[in-house]
Amino acid sequence: MTGPLLYARSRALPLTLAALAGTAAFAVWAAGRLDAYLDPERRVPIVALAPLLASAVIGTSLYSASDELDRTAVRPWWPRRLAQVAGLAALAALLVTPAVLGHADTFGAPSVVRNTLGCTGITAAAAVLLGARLSWLPAFGYVTAVYLGSHGTRWGAASVWAWPMQPGTQPGAWAAAMTAFALGTALYAVRGARPERARG
Amino acid sequence: MTVAAAPKAAVRAPHPLRAETVRGFAPFAGAAVTLTLGAMLAASSARWQGGWAETAAEVHGALLISVPLAAAAGCWQGGRERRRGTEELWRTVVRTPLVRFLASALPVALWVAAGYLVTVGLALLATWSCARGDGPRLALLPGDTVTMAAAALTGHVVGRVVPTRLAAPLLAMAGYVVLGTLTAAHSGGASFLNPALPVAATEVPVWWLPWVTTGWTGGLALAAGLAYAARRRVTAVLPLAAAVAAGALLVQTGDGLLHADPLARRQVCDTSVAPAVCVNARYPDLLPQVTSALSGVTGKLEGVRNLPVRWADRAGRPRAHEAQLPMLTPLGWYVVRGRLIEREEFAWEAVQMLSGSDCPPEELTDRVLVADDAVSSYLAPSPLQKEIDRDDAEGDAAQRAQLRERRAARARLAGMGARERREWLSAYFAARGDCGVKGVPSL
Repeated sequence: MTGPLLYARSRALPLTLAALAGTAAFAVWAAGRLDAYLDPERRVPIVALAPLLASAVIGTSLYSASDELDRTAVRPWWPRRLAQVAGLAALAALLVTPAVLGHADTFGAPSVVRNTLGCTGITAAAAVLLGARLSWLPAFGYVTAVYLGSHGTRWGAASVWAWPMQPGTQPGAWAAAMTAFALGTALYAVRGARPERARG
Repeated sequence: MTVAAAPKAAVRAPHPLRAETVRGFAPFAGAAVTLTLGAMLAASSARWQGGWAETAAEVHGALLISVPLAAAAGCWQGGRERRRGTEELWRTVVRTPLVRFLASALPVALWVAAGYLVTVGLALLATWSCARGDGPRLALLPGDTVTMAAAALTGHVVGRVVPTRLAAPLLAMAGYVVLGTLTAAHSGGASFLNPALPVAATEVPVWWLPWVTTGWTGGLALAAGLAYAARRRVTAVLPLAAAVAAGALLVQTGDGLLHADPLARRQVCDTSVAPAVCVNARYPDLLPQVTSALSGVTGKLEGVRNLPVRWADRAGRPRAHEAQLPMLTPLGWYVVRGRLIEREEFAWEAVQMLSGSDCPPEELTDRVLVADDAVSSYLAPSPLQKEIDRDDAEGDAAQRAQLRERRAARARLAGMGARERREWLSAYFAARGDCGVKGVPSL
């Protein structure tokens, strides 16, 4: 096997792709059961939770079982890491979009793409700080807390900190999510996931 | 190579449970619960802070996110030995599987329960600082705390059984979806098995609900733990039977689990003004603020007859000769952290309630509308009145004519002598009180 393929195998990418496809299928199934054509607001659970699940899948794929060995490599790691996170985030955003077609100005494709990128950014940053396998925890806590805590708030500072719950046209929410994505991706590309050999 | 002599007095090793409790992931799990719940409660503080019943409802509803989080934390801890590759090593120790299971599962269960309790304590302190009567409502707290610990224990079993990296986030998400679906369902037997069963601020649970919830969630968790780790797995039947019995009781009782709060049916009134001002007995200390916000209206209504007896603030429609007080609950609209805000709008809405707001709108002729506008402009002008007038002044000829008429009527009412105005207002309220719009005196 050549370099890229070996890299993909070592990061369990086939399993990750299967899990992302499963997430997308679940989102489409759940969206069909919500009768969202009556009211786009009913899509909020999908818009908030499908990206969260996708980001958890991406986060756990950042784990490297041979971390110490990786460090001895001659080639720089950052292009591979960057390609992995950005590529998976783009793919996940593409995959969860069919669940929420239409209603682009409220809770449609733009909001779910924004949430996927934002959640992936938080998860990537958490992989650097906590380790890849526990990287789902901060995003899960944050998104669920905002989900219950900010229902219906769409003005002022809430449009920034409650970005996972905002309609797709809110510029403050986009800015917050893209900042999280840029920071998280850059941090992961530079540092890589936290080594986890010695701890549980 | 020499072997060091063993020390004479062996140092007593700390209990394994203590080491597991103070180190590793367990304190981190407790902190994660506190942080998540704290962020959620801080973000929504306007809708619960200052009301004891609202606070209790909010921290109980927060189980919707804290139970999946606790289960995921337990699941993460359950997969620890697999991640470390120490499963075989553990099989060589003399302790039984159940003891080994409890030694790593109990600390997380204790910490997530403690994290929940700390958050509830902070929320109660926050409410205490601006409460307006009533007292702490802790009826659901024991059941909810046990549910948190039970979720962590169940998650631990799942983490031991399911050998995948994605087990914890998947369990969190599945728990969230299941609880969310049950919470949104509102009806059907299964929704009463929901540990995060929505409780309104005007409802109180039956006294035995926390104990039955404990049996339901705790029984399931114990059954899962015993079935996984006990030497005699048949012992799991006992807690399972308790859980089934408790679950059956919850489903059978159904809507009877919650009943209307008797306190919410009573009210506290200030009868020194007319109409008397009443607020619900759940927040009696708010009465001075409400009375003061309405003092402008009641001052101008002194000596006017045919008014409703009081502004009432209790569940259900106002009785005969009563007007509804603008709704103070849900918190976050007129009342935020024990303070009445937007007093001008509150007074304006209270005046609207006085003048037969329930009457069928088709009977409202232009003459009545002009009289209504003059009365509300005199008693408590709407904060939006200036903007509405400005829009009409910039509108077409019909709007400008209406505006001229309204302004003239306002000026006539304001320019009346005190006695004449009292008579006019008495006649106006007599007509508007029983929806007899024909009797509304002209201006």
